[in-house]
Amino acid sequence: MITVVKAPAYLTVQDRGRTYGRAAGVPSGGAMDMFAISAANVIVGNDAGAAGLEWALGGGSIRFERDCAFALAGARVEASLDGKVVAPCTTAHAGAGSVLSVGQFVSGRFLYVAVSGGIDVPILMGSKSTYLPAHFGGYEGRRLKSGDTIPLGPETNPRPEAGLHCAADLMPPYDGGIVHVTSGTNERMFDEAAWSVFTESAYRVTAASDRTGYKLEGSRIGNPVGTLPSEAGCPGTIQVPGDGLPIALMADAPTVGGYPKIAVVSEADLPILAQRRPGESVRFELIGIEQSQRASRRRAADLQAISLLASRGKRT
Amino acid sequence: MSTERLLAHPLGDSAVTISFGTERSTALLQRIQTAARSIESAGIPVIREVVPAYLALTVFYDSLSTTYQEIAEQLLALSGKMPAPDKRPAKSRDHVIPVRYDGMDLEAVAAATNLTASQVISIHSGRSYTVDLLGFVPGYAYMSELDPRLHLPRRPEPRPRVPAGSVAIAAAQTGIYPLETPGGWHIIGTTAAVMFDPARDPPALLAAGDVVRFEVLT
Repeated sequence: MITVVKAPAYLTVQDRGRTYGRAAGVPSGGAMDMFAISAANVIVGNDAGAAGLEWALGGGSIRFERDCAFALAGARVEASLDGKVVAPCTTAHAGAGSVLSVGQFVSGRFLYVAVSGGIDVPILMGSKSTYLPAHFGGYEGRRLKSGDTIPLGPETNPRPEAGLHCAADLMPPYDGGIVHVTSGTNERMFDEAAWSVFTESAYRVTAASDRTGYKLEGSRIGNPVGTLPSEAGCPGTIQVPGDGLPIALMADAPTVGGYPKIAVVSEADLPILAQRRPGESVRFELIGIEQSQRASRRRAADLQAISLLASRGKRT
Repeated sequence: MSTERLLAHPLGDSAVTISFGTERSTALLQRIQTAARSIESAGIPVIREVVPAYLALTVFYDSLSTTYQEIAEQLLALSGKMPAPDKRPAKSRDHVIPVRYDGMDLEAVAAATNLTASQVISIHSGRSYTVDLLGFVPGYAYMSELDPRLHLPRRPEPRPRVPAGSVAIAAAQTGIYPLETPGGWHIIGTTAAVMFDPARDPPALLAAGDVVRFEVLT
């Protein structure tokens, strides 16, 4: 069990999202930074798809009520366990009763806390993730509050050794600011001029950004039609409404929509966009689907490598 | 039946959208829904989910186990098999949804359409509707075809809160709000039917292709 001692403004249970429900209008959801939650999970000995905490909008603290391994990934934060500094992306051991304090967010937007055994909440449509707009999933369908006690699952694997580190070269290049995209389903609606604007300008994430989507600011892209009959979208879809300023749909992307879709962010690079704060910029670079899928397979292989490291570590 | 060529396009790394045409029609929608069902029942293990829409359907798949090229070819072949033109998609269900026609916009709709409230009620409940697609929020079904006498544009200012269970109309469609959400449709009634329950299987009461009739509760 974990007790929330002092809740930050945003703290929810997330995993890698729903496996079904889209046809019923339910977004896939799950962590905004799928790589970070998966990496944190595997270095504490969990399956990459285990549920963890998604933490944003400031510091706070939680107490581990049983001995466990835990790890932090995603946003860079100042963190300590009973006063001792906790390194990012590194397996740490916590005794029952110890308190993890998170202070300032140094960079990035979403921090993930994985705990050995994972968070144990009911599975709905293939996932333990919280969907706040419809108040279901995760812990009672809501943000966690101070005083909440969150159940942990049984630890099925031995805990990896403390100090196991997920090397920076295995992580997405968060600081680079280049986000690769494949062309969207309505790509033909945008002429050459629109494409050069989209791929040659920098786009800033605005304050109008949340788990549903990030409204971007920068050079306007001509939208020739306004809206189209609705069709499916997905996290990473970049749509262009009438004002010409693109919206990148994120984890809680609506299942269908009518704005023309110019591009879709490569799964491998979606964490880079997700971790951008309001005011920070990205540039979009167009690649083919083969290259994009290769990149996402490479990420999966990297996770596999980290997971192997974790299972070796526990035997030494 | 349209003989337009089917086109496949990736929707990111893990989905492919198959376009069936460029003009919205009931025939095209039915063809897409039928194709969606035949893809679902083909039992292709890498396929996670099929989302039919007005001009296209989208298939979500496990991109670690197959490539875009491979799945796109498979789907084009499956989607190209034409069903009999007038056949309703297999597996679609019929629903009767009881409605208390006490909506806050009922009188305004009557005034705007030059009808009486009881005429609005009998026109709305006097025909059956087909679910075009689900979206907007979990369980929200867009249903067609509303009697032309009731066609009204959406309210100019959406309401910040529409109660769950509100039965509403806009343009040529009718729908039921499954959750309390913002909304710009005209509310003509209320139902106690649970349109969406995350713990139910399936969670949404309605699915694309289902046929719905409203029963007047007095």
